[in-house]
Amino acid sequence: MLAVDVKNIKKTFVTKQETVEAVKDVSFQVEQGEIFGLLGPNGAGKSTTILMLTTLLSITKGEASILGLDIVTKDKEVREKIGVALQDTGIDNLLTGKELFFTTCRLWGYSKKDSEKRTMELLELVGLTEAADRRVKTYSGGMKRRLDLGLSLVHSPDILFLDEPTTGLDPGSRRVLWEEIKRLRDNGVTIILTTQYLEEADELADRLAIIDEGLVVAEGTSDELKASIGGDVITFSFENDSDLKNAKNVLNDAIEDKDQLRITVENGAAKIPSFINDLNKNGIIVSSVSASKPTLDDVFLEVTGYRLEGSAGSDSSNELEVK
Amino acid sequence: MESNRSFFVQLQVLTKRMVLRVVRRPLAELPNLIISAFFLFVYDGALGGVFGGTASGTPFDFANGNFINFILPVSIVSASLSGAASGIYLVEDIESGVFKRYQSMPISRWAIILAPMNVGALRVLLQAGLILLIGKFIGADPEVGNVGFLIVLSLAFIWGMGFAGYSVAAGVKSGSSQGAQAATFLFFPAIFLAPTFVPREQLKGWLETAAAYNPTTYVIEGMRSVMVQGWELDILFRGYLAATSFAVITLTLAVISARKATEKA
Repeated sequence: MLAVDVKNIKKTFVTKQETVEAVKDVSFQVEQGEIFGLLGPNGAGKSTTILMLTTLLSITKGEASILGLDIVTKDKEVREKIGVALQDTGIDNLLTGKELFFTTCRLWGYSKKDSEKRTMELLELVGLTEAADRRVKTYSGGMKRRLDLGLSLVHSPDILFLDEPTTGLDPGSRRVLWEEIKRLRDNGVTIILTTQYLEEADELADRLAIIDEGLVVAEGTSDELKASIGGDVITFSFENDSDLKNAKNVLNDAIEDKDQLRITVENGAAKIPSFINDLNKNGIIVSSVSASKPTLDDVFLEVTGYRLEGSAGSDSSNELEVK
Repeated sequence: MESNRSFFVQLQVLTKRMVLRVVRRPLAELPNLIISAFFLFVYDGALGGVFGGTASGTPFDFANGNFINFILPVSIVSASLSGAASGIYLVEDIESGVFKRYQSMPISRWAIILAPMNVGALRVLLQAGLILLIGKFIGADPEVGNVGFLIVLSLAFIWGMGFAGYSVAAGVKSGSSQGAQAATFLFFPAIFLAPTFVPREQLKGWLETAAAYNPTTYVIEGMRSVMVQGWELDILFRGYLAATSFAVITLTLAVISARKATEKA
């Protein structure tokens, strides 16, 4: 049985002023025990998709099920199966970590005795035992995210939804959270996470879907997606804007990316000389050229036509630079 | 593991959580309590000399010789406005996302809505109770005996729940704690377009008309009846009727707006 099965869901918000199609057409399937990533920029429709799947938002069109349970007609049963840590689900800053776990355990129906036991287990699990009696307002951003993760695990859910779990965290805290997410997956929890970080999607997701403007524009494993754009990515830089424009007319398949041109070809390093030759013949001076294996960043650029804000650009590890 | 997800357990757990929040922000509780006590002392200090014992035998002898008995209901009504904190508590949860977390769990939405109202009710009882104690300490002595304090407290409780409902409705409708806070502005017309300092018969012109339409008038008069006059059942009944009607209307509005807030968009 699929953990999550989403078929052509759509979400439209209608206000007096305007109608916004936040999610136009999203479909994907998630197998049990995998980490599935939804990668996309802000406003792509990732969080709206998660809100619908966690039964917090109605679906305008389409259908979806969680472990075979329809999320519209069986919403109560669905909530029993899922854990949710959303971007905007809050934590009560005036309570201590221990009080929050205990309260959440009680709300999930545990007896007082069992709640105490489960609280200690979860504090241990997310590494907050020492900070258990401190008020949450004294926690760091990373500790709050771990607490949030722990709170979503109180009832041992089969499926965990994490909406941008590491946004705003420093690299160290991000790594710690990644390890915990992987550990949960290794213990059989299915995880659906949204992210706008390419590195996070690459590191965590067993499979991922790229969402842009409310549509799934690519889906597969990270390797499949990289392979789908084929060969190597050659990046050209030029002395001036005029050369950049002219070069685009010569290299018809190239994609303009800020002040560079990028073209994806088989056996890129071998083809660089002929490209440079063609450009030189047209009086275009290439200031630098490099060939690299495609990264998720390249996949994103290929399928959306733009880069994710803050992405690192090409992967320099496989780079061959020619001056 | 044993599982008990009854409505009452959820309500009790959520109420306890909110009580902890209140206890950990004690300064937030003080302003309303201080204002209510301030009214009591200042009004008694300023007017007690005129309308107190020295007014005996004059047309101003409406306090029956004890102005504290007469003015105490004004402070109690002021204290009962602390019920308006319910809306602020609820909207704080909406703004912080805690509300959404609870919505993603199999919790009764009524438990989520009623918990802040429970705490609002406790707040009213505590603040009104403290003002009554202060009143007793400085000389309040109900005409019907100590049972009068309980009647005043019960009226304050119902009236405070009315303000709790109003603030929840206003807060949820506005979606901001400022919206819920704005509910407390009702305080001024509620308390000053009423027979605050003198009986209604001694108000003049438009103020007399406004007071006749202000439910606070009947709540204050109900409280005063047991404090000053004795068992005036018709006045007392009108007090309970005004408070209960206000509470029923505002709590209905609160339920309607809360239902909308918990529906899926």
